Amino acid sequence: MALLSFKKTKQLLKKYKIGMVKTEIVDSKEKLLFAAKKLGFPLAIKISSPKIIHKTEKKLVITYIKNKNELLNGFYTLIKNSKGLDEIEGILVQKMATGTELICGAKKDDVFGPVIMFGLGGIFVEVLKDISFRIAPIKNSDAMDMIKEIKAYKILTGYRNHPAVNIKKVAEMLKNLSLLSLENKAIKAIDFNPVFADKNKVEVVDAKILI
Amino acid sequence: MNSLFNPKAIALIGATDRKGSVGFGISKNLLEGKARRKIFFVNPYQKTVLKRKTYPSILSIKEKIDLAIIAIPSNVILETVKEVAKKKVNWAIIISSGFSETGKEGSELQKKVAAILKKAKVGLIGPNCLGIIRPSSKMNASFAPAMPKSGGIGFISQSGALIDSVVDQSLFEGYGFSSLISYGNGADLNICDFLKILEKDKETKSIALYLESIKEGRKFIEIAKKVNKKKPIVVLKGGKTMVGRKAASLHTASLAGNEKIYSAAFKQAGIFQVNTISELLAVSLGLSMAKSCAKGKSIAIITNGGAAGVIAADWAEKLKLFLAPLDKKTIKKLKSSKVFSKSTNFSNPLDIIGDALTIRYKKAIDILMQQKNIYGIIVIQTLQIMTDVKKNAETISALARKYKEKPIICCFMGGKLTLPGIEILRKKNIPNYNDPYLAVLAMKALIRKK
Repeated sequence: MALLSFKKTKQLLKKYKIGMVKTEIVDSKEKLLFAAKKLGFPLAIKISSPKIIHKTEKKLVITYIKNKNELLNGFYTLIKNSKGLDEIEGILVQKMATGTELICGAKKDDVFGPVIMFGLGGIFVEVLKDISFRIAPIKNSDAMDMIKEIKAYKILTGYRNHPAVNIKKVAEMLKNLSLLSLENKAIKAIDFNPVFADKNKVEVVDAKILI
Repeated sequence: MNSLFNPKAIALIGATDRKGSVGFGISKNLLEGKARRKIFFVNPYQKTVLKRKTYPSILSIKEKIDLAIIAIPSNVILETVKEVAKKKVNWAIIISSGFSETGKEGSELQKKVAAILKKAKVGLIGPNCLGIIRPSSKMNASFAPAMPKSGGIGFISQSGALIDSVVDQSLFEGYGFSSLISYGNGADLNICDFLKILEKDKETKSIALYLESIKEGRKFIEIAKKVNKKKPIVVLKGGKTMVGRKAASLHTASLAGNEKIYSAAFKQAGIFQVNTISELLAVSLGLSMAKSCAKGKSIAIITNGGAAGVIAADWAEKLKLFLAPLDKKTIKKLKSSKVFSKSTNFSNPLDIIGDALTIRYKKAIDILMQQKNIYGIIVIQTLQIMTDVKKNAETISALARKYKEKPIICCFMGGKLTLPGIEILRKKNIPNYNDPYLAVLAMKALIRKK
């Protein structure tokens, strides 16, 4: 089992109209600096490899990079931490995302085929397991049902200081994810984790597609 | 379908006099329907079984056979299956175990058996199942302990033993079934086929499912969705604690456990999910009896006992049913009826107080039914010395007929002394439960029934 390459992942997301935070893949310091200039700070950088599923645990992700100095330090750290690892595609440079953290995913079930998952990111999924599922294909009403089904739904509609997210667009993403997982039979599982959403947009920060 | 639920001729292969055996149990059960159909016992080693002449093989029976029941050990079954195929029966139930449930060898045998029957266009039920019971046609092609009463619930169960106990319970509590189906390993006919059969079956009003696993998930959702519109389906899924494969490396894959996926599938099919056997039977019974479904989520509770009303209201809130506030017109009508005690608090739940005679139930139901946003009423009766259970039941039944569009669910709480009232409700097809929780749950199911 391996992850789909970054390039192919990006293409697939584009094909299914799934928004992704602006991300570039680079293979040199010069290209990194150029990409940073294009994207603007704050940034995140991470090692990309189809063999590495859990990047954070292996210290292969550095976030909230505010300037060129931090960027270069981060670059050297990633080079050091990734020493000896196989099949490195390059370093991903990514605009830091803002908004409410979500998780969307899919899994091919032996009995039901592709199953779609939705939840809020962080402790909501890790600790509280506040997530909902539907069998693909999902209609708009199914997507809305699975969004409303989670206990933290109120947070999505805006709660105290927490701004609301564009629920219609979240539903749209779930529908597109459903289509993607149905039409690409080789896919075993998909994690969009995290996804960041606010009132204007819903964007995938990290996409893992297991084939 | 008639040839399965009401066959003209049945052959039992493996009929025996040996007490305590499966073959003996089925022989006895089949004879209950001997006035309605021809029954042939096949046993090459015994001349008679239960004083009836036996046949050495199904092929030595001259008459046409609709249904063959096979209850002989799996290691000697192959020849028999070939004969059954040759006999061109419509249906075969294989009760015997020793197939895919035992491992690879059993799976091979099951495939062979299924292929032989399929080629001969014989519909196969089983193997490794309890069989089929159709109370209305006195057809008990099973080794269940007794014949249940005829009723509106179609019960499909992956477990045979569960059916046995449910049959006994149903006899004790006085409700019945349109059919009870145990399909075991489902080598040919499976859950999807039986759902389609019950969809078309006139006697079946609701469907109760006990499932542990299904094979074709998507097909199941599609069919269940369609069937559920005509015959509401209630499901109890066993094996809920099975977690997703631990080896899964992605979040979604590790979080997507068996229970969550099945539950999502049931939701998408519109199936009502329950957690216990009592709930399964209670809800499917309610759905099979109630003539109408609630058109909205707001209901009313009428009770002659405060606490019972409170418990029902708590459950209503938990299950997301709303108690419609009584509007001014309703309160005015209640007051001017002059049958309620001065201390009555005209709110919902409406407590008509412990000393309530039938007239209070009558007025309360009649007036609340007229309020537009009350779509169904739960009527609770606790037992006081002045409570007239029979008269209450008669009055409630009459009002249920008057307001056909809005369901009434009763909760006559008690036992021996309450039974005469419960029996009247049963006769008039008013769902009744001993526990407010089950009454509210059944009402919830009635709203979802669309």
